[in-house]
Amino acid sequence: MSFLRIEKIGKAYPGVQALQDVSFEVQAGQVHALVGENGAGKSTLIKILSGAEQPDSGHIWLDNRPYAPHTPKDALAANVATIYQTFNLLPDRTVAYNVLLGKEARGRWGLLDLEAMRTQAREILARLGASHLEPDMPVGRLKVSEKQILEIARALLNRSRLVIMDEPTSALNQTEVDALFQIIARLKAEGVTILYVSHRLDEIFQLADAVTVLRDGRHISTQPIGAVTRDSLIQDMIGRKLTGVFPEKAQPSMTEVLRVENLTSENLLDGVSFSLYQGEVLAVAGLSGSGKTELGKALFGDLPLDRGHIWFQGQPFRPSPTRAIRRGILYLPEDRKSEGVMQELSVRRNIALASLDRVANPFGFLKPAAERDLAAEQIRVLAIKTPHMEQLVLNLSGGNQQKVALAKCLAARPEVLILMEPTQGIDVGVKFEVYQFIAQQAARGRAVLLISSELSEILGLAHRILVMRDGRVAAELQADQADQETILRYALGAGDKSPVS
Amino acid sequence: MATPDHTPLLPGQQQGTPRRIINFIGEQGFIVIFILWALYLSVSTNNFATAQNVFTILRQATIIGIVAIGAHFIILLGDIDLSLASNLTLSGVVMASLMVNQELPPLLAVLCALGLGGLIGLVNGMVITRLKINAIITTLGMLSILEGIAFIITQGKTIFGDAIEAIKFLSRGTLFDAIPLPVIVLFVFYAAAFVVLARTTYGARVFAVGNNSKAAWLSGINVDRIKVLTYVLAGMLAAFGGVMQVARQGTATGGMGSDFLFPVLTAVVLGGASLTGGRGKIVNTLIAAVFLTTITNGMVLLGISIYTQRVVSGAILIIALSLDRLRTVRV
Repeated sequence: MSFLRIEKIGKAYPGVQALQDVSFEVQAGQVHALVGENGAGKSTLIKILSGAEQPDSGHIWLDNRPYAPHTPKDALAANVATIYQTFNLLPDRTVAYNVLLGKEARGRWGLLDLEAMRTQAREILARLGASHLEPDMPVGRLKVSEKQILEIARALLNRSRLVIMDEPTSALNQTEVDALFQIIARLKAEGVTILYVSHRLDEIFQLADAVTVLRDGRHISTQPIGAVTRDSLIQDMIGRKLTGVFPEKAQPSMTEVLRVENLTSENLLDGVSFSLYQGEVLAVAGLSGSGKTELGKALFGDLPLDRGHIWFQGQPFRPSPTRAIRRGILYLPEDRKSEGVMQELSVRRNIALASLDRVANPFGFLKPAAERDLAAEQIRVLAIKTPHMEQLVLNLSGGNQQKVALAKCLAARPEVLILMEPTQGIDVGVKFEVYQFIAQQAARGRAVLLISSELSEILGLAHRILVMRDGRVAAELQADQADQETILRYALGAGDKSPVS
Repeated sequence: MATPDHTPLLPGQQQGTPRRIINFIGEQGFIVIFILWALYLSVSTNNFATAQNVFTILRQATIIGIVAIGAHFIILLGDIDLSLASNLTLSGVVMASLMVNQELPPLLAVLCALGLGGLIGLVNGMVITRLKINAIITTLGMLSILEGIAFIITQGKTIFGDAIEAIKFLSRGTLFDAIPLPVIVLFVFYAAAFVVLARTTYGARVFAVGNNSKAAWLSGINVDRIKVLTYVLAGMLAAFGGVMQVARQGTATGGMGSDFLFPVLTAVVLGGASLTGGRGKIVNTLIAAVFLTTITNGMVLLGISIYTQRVVSGAILIIALSLDRLRTVRV
């Protein structure tokens, strides 16, 4: 009997069809896995099921009744609970308050009955096998795995019949993962249906009864777990993608520009080492949470490092944006709108921002003509579409804003470019221009570290590929010997664990 | 359920004449009120529109105007400094005390005052950037500390003496026997501030930090250094305001700066600088400082009590800012 039935769900965001005609069914009391690459539409589907977003088209049935939550509250009322990667807990309050939030026990005169709350919290935590959590502990001091248990406890208290878990193991160690799996088994034994979103194929084979694959916003397959293999799942996730026209790759030189040894940062980066050569495009692939974003940030000083060494052109380098830019290491942030450009400044000033000292005299007085020349040159080179250079950046299209952010890097005469998701959220035409730009920069001897979630652009542009997983370099591949399947295999941790060089 | 793809229009892009008038009044609202007020005073009093009175107004606007330059810079960063007026007090008191009690040469005493003002700014800046304490809280605490010290030094008495005569020319002096020296100082300082903001890398970085400090930092701008430098600059300007105030009164007291907090911040906000940083014209701050002085001056000419004056000043601030809202809120 199907408990959750999703029928022809569609959802578009400006410029992206996030979901298109997605239909599948989830059987009652099962653990149903939902898998797909970054951008496959998993998050959008979760948002719709949890009431955070509404679909443009299609219907959902829950237990044979129409289900169309308009707010997260509607979803909770229908006994659907969602456990996100980030928690909705009040860190300064106790375990009991958090578990019973909105369902506090009342005593005489409407005052809180603290003793009853403690008892209830204890009961529910015991059911989850987490009796070690005391009701009076402040939540802020709990471990990530323990916070997750509180969220699940809350879901249980709401008598949830469908629990959606979004990458629940991404921040857990193995012992914690095992404990979570036991909890999931208990939930299942109580008849709760679970929609389990994960990148990790191992877990899916361990837990799930059925698995659904999404790709590019479309439903690809829904099968019982016995009917699939690792290879068939990976095949479904990749599909046959359109490979764009990528520019020729020039031969990189043997001169090492950047050497990174043993970079470690909390539980985000774990002993990352690699070298980057002149004229090389080195791509960093990996799923979200693999550490690839953190690696880029760490190299530019936007993430504190616990250990590790960086050498730039043979000299030790301690990352900070100011030092990096002075030595020719430029960085294109992932979040263009809030970090890449200054919305309320002109195109001219945005382009010159990282090179102000070069358009000023030694006393710090700007030379307006020099600044204009600098901006004009970049506007021409990158073909930025703007009526004039005094235009505020917020009036430009997303793709042209991205070009302004690139122009700022280029104007500062880079030796190394760290590009974070350079084509995210920009239209196809500009995407192609950005590819040309990257290839040109490499051909001119600049070293490019391309951090990207798009496998096609990684394969099309890179000379070498680092695949990251769990904060480590899982594999180093030569681009001409790699394909999407190999990359994904390492990214998922489903392949040979010894690095290939 | 398609979402319409609407491109937001910028203020000033909206079509139609009424919209344009609203925009103009919104952007230059206080200037409109300023002109109306000046016209009214010219008609209803005999001595408003005289060269004598205009110079009096400008002379009175000098101290507010100079301290407001520092406040303007800090507000451009998206921060605020509530301690500027008490910095003015302490620097003025220390200078007067050094001249009268320690018999220090006037120039040295003035330099000490400027150094002290800069030091106070340095402490503000370091606490805000290094300890990451909110600017309002830091400078509010500093306000209380500085006022307290000023009263401790003066013991609640007025510092006066012949030694102060030596700097009186700063207030009383004239150029060509016509233009008061403070008026010249005011315009020179504003011209310098304009050049610094529009034509130096420091000015460009101040705007960038106020616009988006994370993006500025990622563009290689040393955000903390820009902030500290700005607090130091503002502190020195406040101290110079203290020097001017002592020169004008010929005395120093522990309460001499308390009337400056309100008009200094009001001038910047009235001039249209955004409290979230990144936007503001220094010229408008100057005009607003003169405007605020004109309000007071006019009310004195009209014989309105000083208590009523405070009510009117507060009301004008709120009205002027409401006009600004007309522009951004859709009517």
